[in-house]
Amino acid sequence: MLFNIIQKSFLNQKKAVALMLVSVAAGTAVTASLLTVSYDISGKVSKELRSFGANILIEPKVEGLAGISGQKRFLREEDIVRAKAIFWRHNIIGIAPMLEATVEVKANSRTATYDIIGIWYEKSLPLPGEEKQFTAGTRTVSPWWDIKGQWPDSHEKVIAGASLSERLGIKTGDEIFMNGKRFTVSGTLETGGREDNQIIMELGALQEFMNMPGKISKVLVSALSKPMDEFAYKDPATMTQAEYEKWYCTGYITSIAKQLEEVFRGSRAKPVWNIAETEGKVLNRLTLLIYFLSFLSVLAAALGVSTTMIMSFLRRTHEIGLMKAVGADSGKIITVFISEACLTGLIGGTIGYVLSLIVSQYIGTQVFSARLEQREMLLPIALGSAVLIAVLGTILPIKKALSIKPAIILKGAE
Amino acid sequence: MSFIILKNIVKEYGPAHALRGVSMEIQKGQWVNIMGPSGSGKSTLLNIIGGLDTPTSGEVFVEGIKINALSEDDLACFRREKTGFVFQQSHLVPYLDAVENVMLAQYFHSMADEEEAVGALTRVGLEHRLKHRPSQLSGGEQQRICIARALTNDPVLLLADEPTGNLDRENTKMILELLKKLHSEEHFTIILVTHDPFVSQWGERVLMMEDGSIKSDAPINP
Ligand SMILES: Nc1ncnc2c1ncn2[C@@H]1O[C@H](COP(=O)(O)OP(=O)(O)OP(=O)(O)O)[C@@H](O)[C@H]1O
Ligand SMILES: [Mg+2]
Repeated sequence: MLFNIIQKSFLNQKKAVALMLVSVAAGTAVTASLLTVSYDISGKVSKELRSFGANILIEPKVEGLAGISGQKRFLREEDIVRAKAIFWRHNIIGIAPMLEATVEVKANSRTATYDIIGIWYEKSLPLPGEEKQFTAGTRTVSPWWDIKGQWPDSHEKVIAGASLSERLGIKTGDEIFMNGKRFTVSGTLETGGREDNQIIMELGALQEFMNMPGKISKVLVSALSKPMDEFAYKDPATMTQAEYEKWYCTGYITSIAKQLEEVFRGSRAKPVWNIAETEGKVLNRLTLLIYFLSFLSVLAAALGVSTTMIMSFLRRTHEIGLMKAVGADSGKIITVFISEACLTGLIGGTIGYVLSLIVSQYIGTQVFSARLEQREMLLPIALGSAVLIAVLGTILPIKKALSIKPAIILKGAE
Repeated sequence: MSFIILKNIVKEYGPAHALRGVSMEIQKGQWVNIMGPSGSGKSTLLNIIGGLDTPTSGEVFVEGIKINALSEDDLACFRREKTGFVFQQSHLVPYLDAVENVMLAQYFHSMADEEEAVGALTRVGLEHRLKHRPSQLSGGEQQRICIARALTNDPVLLLADEPTGNLDRENTKMILELLKKLHSEEHFTIILVTHDPFVSQWGERVLMMEDGSIKSDAPINP
């Protein structure tokens, strides 16, 4: 009977029902899209933010006599692939080794001492234990590097930093002498950073030139990480076993650094704090903003439903008075109208959910140039919030309906 | 103890007095007609007896229950358990058909029972109009649905506010015959408001109202 009443009453007020469905569907679509985005936003945005540079720096550990005597220590190039074998390997999206040295540069009959760095610009390495390759190199941590000319294709070619080139008066194609050996400038680089005053060459070439095979001075890592929270700031040394495990297996920048330190022999890995912290803050705020917007959209939709419902109730006061006159108590009246609301919610929610699939993919491609992952659990959430919208929107009208006096309504009606 | 007892019922709408201290008693199984000029308080009195309205002061007892002291929900319960109401205008839900309108009252009472609803409509001679909506039926037919609806939950008290007000003599007679049958066979207590002297001849007792008070109260001589 209840279903019969609802079905016929829906058919009897198609316009109002359609309006409510639109409100609910729109509210659900916005909420569900925002939630879809929010699931992925941390990942997507932190990937975007990662283009601002490395957030972990791995250097040789300096301790004991070596520190006092100033003896230079190095990391091993062969350890780089091991970074892709740690627990959080999939979060490592960029890794770039670097060997630093100083050389005497002679060009245009001027001589001066300059820093020289050996790097990989873009290099494919085999993933340990897998068929696949991964890309390492400076481009993966500093994608803004823009070389005018060409990256050296032989060991006799170098890139010259922009400031250095200006000072020495050299340009692409010129020849320079380093420690007496002849090299060709194949390109110039301007980054606004230290590189502008350095000579840059292929890592292998520099290792050979300086006779330091397999050695590197430091490694820059770009890693996706979970924003730091209170727990993350705890000192791992003071943690219990269980706490330590939880910390180790959570993608905090510090725990990723710790795991990297374990695979690079003789190393110390530390987060580049100003970058890591800014990222965390931005992500936290974005997520908060999204939740807030979702809440607002639920509220706005509920308001829309409420106004439509109130209008429809005004037209239905006679019917409600009649229901009361033939003996409906508040429980039954609430049952009828909450059921109507739930049904509106379920139908509107389904429509809204389907819409959100389209909307969130549009947002994904427009804002992040990527498809957003669709989660199954979003359907119950969408339907839940749709029913919530409809029920919230019905509360006020129901309160009004319950205050209707049947005698007054029935006397004046028709 | 009388079936219905009214003690000094006053109903005020702001400064206006609809009822100015009405007291009376009605016995179980009695058929009482209420007459009087327009605005004299007939509907107000009926609504108060049926628990559709509450008096400003005074006491109403039905079967020993003091209904003017009941809460909203208890009053709703009283209405669906004890009373059957037939209104002056046939109040029906426009988008439900005849059977469904009767079943609606059953649903609010306990459980909708289509067979019983069809039975009630058959009793009022509407078995051939079950699936019609109110707008597809004549005034007399609509009024008969209302009577069927009023009867469906086995009430002890049938309240009718000008049930034949909009009907021609033929239909009026038919409704009255129906009420008479219910009254004599099933011993319903009936309170009926009417302007029509023809209608007031049916029944056992006539109350004349004027300006919110009972002016006369007399039995009908058969
Ligand atoms: N809701 C209301 N607000 C204000 N005054 C009302 C209200 N309902 C009834 N009245 C007044 O109370 C008085 C009695 O009304 P009631 O409906 O009982 O009259 P009645 O005898 O049934 O008249 P009729 O024969 O025209 O149906 C009238 O003067 C009417 O104007
Ligand atoms: Mg009246």
